[in-house]
Amino acid sequence: MDFAYNDDQELLRGVTRRFLEERHPMALTRTRLEAESTFDRGVWRDGAELGWTALVVPEQYGGGSVTDQPVVDLAAVAEEAGRALFPGPLLSTNVVADAVAAYGDEQQRQQFLGAIARGDCVATWCTTADGSAEADAIGVEAVPAPSGLKLDGVARFAHDAHEADLLLVSCQAPSGPTLVLMPLPAPGVSFRVLGGLDLTRRLCEVSFESVEAAGHQILGAVGAAGPAIDRAYRLATVLQSAEAVGAAERVFEITVQYAKDRRQFGRAIGSFQAIKHRLADLLIELEGARAASWYAALAVADDRFDRDEAVAVAGAAVRDAFAFIAGESVQIHGGIGFTWEHDAHLFMRRAKVEQLLFGDPDWHRERLCRLAEAKAPV
Amino acid sequence: MDVDIPEIPSRYDAYRQGLREFIVGNLPELAFKQRSGLRAPEDPEDVVKLRRWVRGLHDAGYGANRDDPFEARISIEELERTRIPYVLGNPLVAGAIVRFGTEQQRAAYLPAIASGEHIWTQLFSEPDAGSDLTSLRTRAVLDGGHYVVSGQKVWSTWAQFSDFGYLLARIGSGAGRDGITAFILDMKSEGVTTRPLREITGTTDFNEVFLDSVRIPVENMIGEPGAGWSVAQASLAHERGTLPGDKEQDPAGALVRAARHRRRGGRAAIEDGAVRQQIGRVAARSLMERYLGYRVQTRAANNQTAAWDAPLVKIWFSELNLEVADYALRLLGGRGALVEDEPLAHEDGRWQDTFLYARSWTIAGGSNEILRNVIGERALDLPREPRGDR
Repeated sequence: MDFAYNDDQELLRGVTRRFLEERHPMALTRTRLEAESTFDRGVWRDGAELGWTALVVPEQYGGGSVTDQPVVDLAAVAEEAGRALFPGPLLSTNVVADAVAAYGDEQQRQQFLGAIARGDCVATWCTTADGSAEADAIGVEAVPAPSGLKLDGVARFAHDAHEADLLLVSCQAPSGPTLVLMPLPAPGVSFRVLGGLDLTRRLCEVSFESVEAAGHQILGAVGAAGPAIDRAYRLATVLQSAEAVGAAERVFEITVQYAKDRRQFGRAIGSFQAIKHRLADLLIELEGARAASWYAALAVADDRFDRDEAVAVAGAAVRDAFAFIAGESVQIHGGIGFTWEHDAHLFMRRAKVEQLLFGDPDWHRERLCRLAEAKAPV
Repeated sequence: MDVDIPEIPSRYDAYRQGLREFIVGNLPELAFKQRSGLRAPEDPEDVVKLRRWVRGLHDAGYGANRDDPFEARISIEELERTRIPYVLGNPLVAGAIVRFGTEQQRAAYLPAIASGEHIWTQLFSEPDAGSDLTSLRTRAVLDGGHYVVSGQKVWSTWAQFSDFGYLLARIGSGAGRDGITAFILDMKSEGVTTRPLREITGTTDFNEVFLDSVRIPVENMIGEPGAGWSVAQASLAHERGTLPGDKEQDPAGALVRAARHRRRGGRAAIEDGAVRQQIGRVAARSLMERYLGYRVQTRAANNQTAAWDAPLVKIWFSELNLEVADYALRLLGGRGALVEDEPLAHEDGRWQDTFLYARSWTIAGGSNEILRNVIGERALDLPREPRGDR
């Protein structure tokens, strides 16, 4: 029984925290709240040197992890990214790297993995037209063409797609779901940054108009990407949960400090049980979320028997906890929490948006109900 | 990172087999029905049978407190399955005696606790000192080689059948933690009167205990005079960290079964999206309880226990337990109104009993409101609320 990050993972986490505090402080994030791009390629490359994009890449392609559980290593990094409300596509790039490592052929691995690990290739995943994880919500159609496939349609809510060097595109082919690797720029692919609630991160609409994809761009076989897409969603949920835990932890710390400093009626407001008990409730939800997030990372890393259940628990609970904590943090701050200048709303905005992506919590609760039914004999 | 519990080696198969045979040959037949929670029997004959059963387990080398961790695990696994109690009363005093007791106390009491020969009760709470335990008023006055103790205790589990009590009383005229002292009380002493309470469940697990000039020998003090608060904190921290073994192992599965039986709007309730969401929520939160347990165990093993670990786990468990029972009754429809021994009751009314008993867990062992104060003040270092009485 050793349900904690080990020393190497803690080291990675500490280095990442210091790096982000120095190179991507909230003050920097705030200068870009209303800018077209929140992404800083210099910070990304230096982050890559710390291993951010190399952990799920096998050693022979220039990657390497700190333990034999790369997904847990990566979750430790993602917690820190979340803590800083880091804008970059850490989750998406790693999901693409993992998909290429698991399902790519030798040429695809050679072409993309080293560049991703070095931080030279920023990658993102185009999932569905509505941001859900429903199979029938894939909005890009792939039809056979002389060169391979021709793509038409739209994907939305892709992290930083307009800054990316590589897209992984979920498509619907006549024979079934298909994944296509699309290096950018590519003729017929256009981008629009969506006006979004989360000011710290840019989500894009990506349109495909008669886009040619050669055979060597197809990841795995045409029509057979179901398992690869499931795997990508599992990793996305693990990393999304880890980011949510880190962000929730940070906004909780800020709020506890405020409850100690702010005085009304001659007392620190944290001495009132109305506030104290609410903070206790936030800690309870934070610690439950952390346990769920860690367990999901562990279950995916080790391919445990209860992997799908663990991922669904994290998907159902962690972002709801983050949204609860961030919302109550604004409330406990009172009027100052309602101001643009205070950071609380940035966390609340991030929380609300994360609840909607890669399968919302209700979707995961439905999965848990199905799993419970399967385990309870009629 | 891992959560693996080492597999029990095959050389322990004989131990398990022996225990199973012992259970078949010795399991007592009781008048008392095992319900939810930590129940005391209602028939004194059952207590005699249970004492014989626990003593027999110990003497045959199958008690739940084996030193060998694999044997202890096997014993608990097999004995839990019997649904017959194998720990009688409240043995938490053992931790206090191990840590704060004298050599003589250890020799006199620990083996008898382990063997089940002595049944213990806890004499902490008072009518005006529940969540605010430091307000306790039971007094102990030194008189030669004895303390003379008077006062009233309440919520003492198993007191009506206990041999000894783990007592907190106050020496001197101080307030708060001042003077609180821990004692071993022989329940047969003159001046001890036990009156069983009937709870909302209709059964009797708790008692009032009246102490009228009871003489306790000085050598029955645990720890130093006035050190009782630290002694008690050590035991209570342990109590809050240990949860009942009888809890529902798969609450989501139990709700699925109930939802299949209930019809709603012309279809089984399990097909109703609102029901499915609630079952999904219960599944998530019961699994998170397990994951939280892994964290707490890992921290404890590394001597890194956080101030919030025990209260957080207790709040999580007790509130989920109540939520599950409450929802199960709703899912059962009209049958949710029926209790045990009613032929139409679902699963002999176990959910109704769990629903009633659930309030014991949200109140006992530090009410959840007090535990939120503990989290706020000890874990988050928030300032205390001023007291109104001093």
